[in-house]
Amino acid sequence: MAKSLLIISRQAPWSGPCAREALDVALAGGAFDLPLGMLFLDDGVFQLAAAQQPDALQQKNLAANLQALPMFGVEELFACAHSLARRGLADEALNLPVQVLDDAALKALIARFDQVVTL
Amino acid sequence: MSTLTVGDRTIALDKDGFLLDLQDWSPEAAQALAAQEQISLTDEHWEILNVLREFYAQYQLSPATRPLIKYTALKLGADKGNSPHLNRLFNGTPAKLAAKLAGLPKPTNCI
Amino acid sequence: MTTLHVIAHSPFGDQRLASCLRLLGADDGLLLCGDATYALKAGSEPLQMLQAANLGPRLFALAEDLQARALDGTQVIAVDYPAFVELSLHYDKVNSWL
Repeated sequence: MAKSLLIISRQAPWSGPCAREALDVALAGGAFDLPLGMLFLDDGVFQLAAAQQPDALQQKNLAANLQALPMFGVEELFACAHSLARRGLADEALNLPVQVLDDAALKALIARFDQVVTL
Repeated sequence: MSTLTVGDRTIALDKDGFLLDLQDWSPEAAQALAAQEQISLTDEHWEILNVLREFYAQYQLSPATRPLIKYTALKLGADKGNSPHLNRLFNGTPAKLAAKLAGLPKPTNCI
Repeated sequence: MTTLHVIAHSPFGDQRLASCLRLLGADDGLLLCGDATYALKAGSEPLQMLQAANLGPRLFALAEDLQARALDGTQVIAVDYPAFVELSLHYDKVNSWL
């Protein structure tokens, strides 16, 4: 049985490479059939905002790429309730079907996975 | 860098034979690319190429093998979305070769 | 399963430490290295946060990083690199906050 990996993505989408790198780890792991989870934490929850239009930035569309996670077998998707609330995203529609977890549930989530990496 | 001749047009390819500019794709370009791989495109090929182009339009990336199979099964049913069928149509490397013929970038997570 | 959380970034102007403390399980450990050790600066806000979290024997810092920055290591368990390696084996996994 392959070890499960939780990827914690905690950077905003358009200003640096971290959000892209976290997604690339998830897509590559998914392509290899690894049991993966992905948690959006801190500024990482900004990746989940609906209706983002990065075309003018001339970057690959991370928000569109994120939608492919379930196709790559990454279906365990989570977001931190506290991070969403602080950023005014708690009541908004998000672009991914994430489970929103409170701190206690996040502790249990991190404990459940064999390996964790935070990007 | 190599090129592909389609009718009276010359299209630039990268070192692996993928289109450098995705805007250069046309059904005729797909046929020319397929001919280079000794493949004659049938309706069975075309429905997969269309599924791939749909995948790219939706997700802005090229699928690895597993998501290609999953997405094809979703769109065309399990009798099409399975690896024997896709391997048979695309010389055993469906994610890479079908992406090339569909005018998509080379898949980065390809096994 | 237990986790050793490792933070290397300065706690000033970044959420890593605050978020880590919120998500730290009851049996998890926290190791500060590099600029994260500035969290131990006497009189600083991050130190208050750490004291409030009351991690006791679950809070570690890399000794050489404390020494280089003239930071007080009496509030933590100061470890050298061999002890760091031992710690990472003691916990089920290591979560590096990159």
